[in-house]
Amino acid sequence: MSVLKAIVRLLLVATLAALTPLHAAETNTLARIGAQLEQHAVIRAEFTQRKQMAAMKRPLLTSGRLVLSRQHGVLWQIEQPLRISYVLGEERIVEIGADGARRERGVRDVPGLAQVSRVFRAMLGADSAALREQFDAAAHGDPAQWEIILTPRNAQLAQFLTRLQLSGGRFVSDISIVEAGGDTTQINFHHTQGSNALSDTELQLFGVDQTPSAKPAGTR
Amino acid sequence: MNALRLRAGLWLLLALGVLIAGATQFAGGRVRLQTNLLALLPPTERNPLAEQAVTRLADAAGDRVVFLIGQRSPSAAAAAARQFAQQLRQSGIFRQVVAEIPAFDPKQLTALYQPYRFNLLSEEDRVELSSGQVDLAGRLQRKLYAPFRFGLALAVADDPFGLADDWLASLPLKNLRLAPQDGLLVTRGAGQSWVFVSAELPGSAYESAIQRQVGQAVAQAESAVHDLDREASVLRSGTVFYAAAARASAEREVDLIGAGSLIGMLALLYLVFRSLRPLALGLLSVGFGIAAALVATVWVFGQIHLITLVFGASLIGEAIDYAVQYFAAHLGAGADWEAQAGLRRIAPGLTLALATSLLGYGALLLAPFPALSQIAWFALVGLSAAWLSVFLLLPALLASPNRRDPQTAVALPQHLLRWWQTHLTRRRCVALAALLLVLAAPGWLQLQGNDDVRLLVARPPALVAQEEQIRELTGMGNSSQFFLIDGNTAEALLANAEKLAGRLDALVAQGELTGYQSLSTFVPSAQRQVQNRALWLQKVFADPAELRRVLADAGLRDEIADQQLASFDAAQNSRLTLADWLQAPISTPYRHLWLGPNENGFAAVVLPQGVRDVTRLGDAAASLADVTLVDKAGNVSRLFRSYRQWGAGWLLAALALVYGLLCLRYGPRQGAVVLTPTLLAIALALGVLGYLKAPLTLFNMMGLMLVLGVGVNYAIFLREGGVRAAATLAGVLLSAGTTLLSFGLLAFSSMPALAGFGLTLLIGVGIAVLLAPMVLSFSAQENA
Repeated sequence: MSVLKAIVRLLLVATLAALTPLHAAETNTLARIGAQLEQHAVIRAEFTQRKQMAAMKRPLLTSGRLVLSRQHGVLWQIEQPLRISYVLGEERIVEIGADGARRERGVRDVPGLAQVSRVFRAMLGADSAALREQFDAAAHGDPAQWEIILTPRNAQLAQFLTRLQLSGGRFVSDISIVEAGGDTTQINFHHTQGSNALSDTELQLFGVDQTPSAKPAGTR
Repeated sequence: MNALRLRAGLWLLLALGVLIAGATQFAGGRVRLQTNLLALLPPTERNPLAEQAVTRLADAAGDRVVFLIGQRSPSAAAAAARQFAQQLRQSGIFRQVVAEIPAFDPKQLTALYQPYRFNLLSEEDRVELSSGQVDLAGRLQRKLYAPFRFGLALAVADDPFGLADDWLASLPLKNLRLAPQDGLLVTRGAGQSWVFVSAELPGSAYESAIQRQVGQAVAQAESAVHDLDREASVLRSGTVFYAAAARASAEREVDLIGAGSLIGMLALLYLVFRSLRPLALGLLSVGFGIAAALVATVWVFGQIHLITLVFGASLIGEAIDYAVQYFAAHLGAGADWEAQAGLRRIAPGLTLALATSLLGYGALLLAPFPALSQIAWFALVGLSAAWLSVFLLLPALLASPNRRDPQTAVALPQHLLRWWQTHLTRRRCVALAALLLVLAAPGWLQLQGNDDVRLLVARPPALVAQEEQIRELTGMGNSSQFFLIDGNTAEALLANAEKLAGRLDALVAQGELTGYQSLSTFVPSAQRQVQNRALWLQKVFADPAELRRVLADAGLRDEIADQQLASFDAAQNSRLTLADWLQAPISTPYRHLWLGPNENGFAAVVLPQGVRDVTRLGDAAASLADVTLVDKAGNVSRLFRSYRQWGAGWLLAALALVYGLLCLRYGPRQGAVVLTPTLLAIALALGVLGYLKAPLTLFNMMGLMLVLGVGVNYAIFLREGGVRAAATLAGVLLSAGTTLLSFGLLAFSSMPALAGFGLTLLIGVGIAVLLAPMVLSFSAQENA
């Protein structure tokens, strides 16, 4: 089971828990981590993902590239063992096959998808405010070297997920997901870089109309 | 004298009877002010089941109120919404207040469908599986590698190819823009986060007690939210708010029109007669008329609709006419007055006038339309009672001659009359008539019909704007059309719904619809389930060796293929039934689609959403035997249109009838003369309506019928006045003044139907009275 699949499930589950205040110090740490990631309009990284599933004889290994644009959303490009890309935007989700064929879906058509987009970005960008809507968060370390452990806030969520763990420094470097059924997923990010703007190829994948007069620049 | 006393005694008895009847009705709690628009509309559906479904859906929707609480910050919006809901709950009025949504358990959904997964296929997959070979390996890869799932998903071991996932994703669980977040339903828009709160009324939205309590509770909750957070805003929508607003504005209008007519009438009466006695007698006669009308209406209809009440207030101006004629005769006679002789002299005119009015309203009484027949009945009884008062009561109470000098009292009308007689010769009258018709003609060409059912409701713009905004933010439709599906058995019903669904899918693809809710999208018919299973067998399980190879190649454990094959065989005879689905908790939000058993079998509704063109819906239902498109609003509009056309025909027939009556008394030539001013008034009123760009509605046609009824009266009174013409003209002017005042006030009603009705009368009666003296030009010269 993939990272996001777990999260989609979580999001489909309505939470009943009331907001529980974090310790001031932790709130502070989380806010600072979020702030340093927010400096960049675009973040690019390479990822390797290792999924351990009960149904599989051996772990499923995937690698590829991630582009996180604060303006346009997330581009998740799997390069190994097959080529397939996913664009997760505010309004729609696009699956792009190896042959370039696009399968689009409006996020409004599918329950919970709009929030997936927000939380997925929140997770990759360590946006604590968005994550705390669904999870209890515990933070350790300082902005140079930190770790956040997220646990679902109610039993409904806990049916699917035991723990979500993010760690990193300037950027998120590792994500670990432990599902209630025992499946686990580890994602490692490397060669992460901040940038101001998307390349033309990336804009094209995001489905952004590139007219010379109105070439979208990165925010801030 | 004795005869007079006897009559007055009879009147007293009648008045006492009306009083007692009214008191018993009131004490028995039977005087219900009805504010429900549906109660006014005629049955439009040939199929009684459809009419029943309309009422049921309207009730279900009417008992609910919906709020959106907005704030820029999502957490502040959530806090404000919780506070709002808490306040509503504390008021103790609502049967239920929902803000926190019950946890939606996806396992309930997957548990319901998983055992039947080999009978289920999404429409897209059904097409894919039936059209060719399926790329099972590709589907498995997509399931394994997708970083996220499009909605609910089964485990890889249970659904390796994502076919069941696709079925779950195709369920229309999410036609709204609302999404669960932190235990609340939230949507975003206009730079704010909006939280959805709904509440269920303890009874009908049309009950005044409920309207008042709900209004108070909502106002309190709103102020509590504002105390908590100045920036939070509250949007509301619900039948109860419209009904309360309609009631409040109707009550305001009854007060305004009633008080305005009364005060104006009394002032005019005093101005002309300079005595308090006509005032008191006029009030008695009108009061008796209105009271009798109220009692008779409640007696016949069991309730009174607020549209009738507002109309009734304006009837005051018309009911006074008979008494005014009597007073005028009294004034004109001066010292020669003798009650019985005087009455005898004006009696034919009064009775003829009543007869013409009764003809006008009588036509409405025959219409199979509760709103019109109630108004007509009210007017018939009210006018007859007012007329009767003149005969029974007035001679006894106004027996002594008038002390005022008739000459000074009628100086102004006398002056007017002379002016008319010197300036308007026959030839000039004809020329004037021709000129007016020429002026009116371009207006006729600009007349445009309007048959919208909303003519009957006052829709406060503030409420409409909030409802629009809520619709925009939540994506909740408000289309009033739906399909009624019949079937001898539940299976037949589902099969019929599937046939319709196929056509509706095509409309969705063309952008004619945004979607629809149908039982068949949650439960396929048994026949469809058998077809689906055949496709699964053919394309997935036909070759177990191939299946094993695909799963093994992707790295799945060997036993998974065996499990799949075993589950498929085990599920061979299991079918998902409508009963299974109805018992599952997840069906709760969709139960309104199911109408249950009836004498012919079973019925259900299919609700289209985001309809662009209703005729396309009609096309979709056409040629499907057990599918009916029910379009109540459309049918009512069509009915309004046919009544409007029928009304035009009736107006012509009524003109002929009235002419017949006039001929009986005046002969064909003078009859035509008496009718002419009214005929001109109707023609000119139509022209003016055209110039004003006022829509021509059924209610304008009703107004024209009354212009006929009332306008002819003036001509009759003047024609009957004879030697005392000046006094009669004073009476006619007075009558017209009171009528114009009350119907003129009606023109400002917030109910478009009544406003149009009032406007038509204002114009028509105004012109009729101005032209009425024409009668004298012709009759005077003929008599001379």
